[in-house]
Amino acid sequence: MSEGVARHGSIRLIEEACTACMICVRECPAWCIHIASHTVTATDLPPGARDRTRNELDRFDIDWSVCMYCGICVDECPFDALVWAGDHHPGAASIGGLLAGREELRSAGGSS
Amino acid sequence: MSGFIDWFGDGSVLVQDLSLACCAVESEFAVPVGAPRVESVPPGAHLVQVISGTPTDALADVLAARLRAEFPGIRSRSRVAFGACAIAGGPYWDSWSVTKGIDQVVPVDHYIPGCPPPPEALGAFVAHVRTR
Repeated sequence: MSEGVARHGSIRLIEEACTACMICVRECPAWCIHIASHTVTATDLPPGARDRTRNELDRFDIDWSVCMYCGICVDECPFDALVWAGDHHPGAASIGGLLAGREELRSAGGSS
Repeated sequence: MSGFIDWFGDGSVLVQDLSLACCAVESEFAVPVGAPRVESVPPGAHLVQVISGTPTDALADVLAARLRAEFPGIRSRSRVAFGACAIAGGPYWDSWSVTKGIDQVVPVDHYIPGCPPPPEALGAFVAHVRTR
């Protein structure tokens, strides 16, 4: 494997970079990413500025049971919030065991 | 689709690979080089039934018959869904003709995700079955 070429496998979520823009959800060919978010009003505005809102993530799941490990989400994320993180999911005794939530995705492949 | 792979060549674990689509390339690759193919499962052996590839509703009855077949005297039977299609229909989960996972037909004991999964994951599961 040449330097700088990531190996397809698990995917890590860098939550600080995610804006819940939904691009990964819509680009995923298997529709295996599920996001929920709500908007919050920014409080750090200068006097007289118009109200601004940003998305706050409530849920970010990748369903490894249908994920194709194709990396389209990794490539398409405009904020580089998804990165390759080591080996494939090793397998599970139940199909529910293949659903990875926020916590699991944040720590996938060890800390960054 | 017929026959069994004597995975370790010692009759301890027999593997039946129901190869339905492209994942079969990977599940075949996982087979140890030179592993003998046999026509029956000897008593006392562990049986691993692997479904690799896309199960369709048209094939469901045939698959169910294969996966439910009686093997007198075997020590254990595990069914493995190998790959996204066998697990949940994969990228075709919204297609009318595709079964949304082989566990809609028979119960599954182990799910190995990927499209395709790494062959080593199947090898590791078979090795784990041998230690039971």
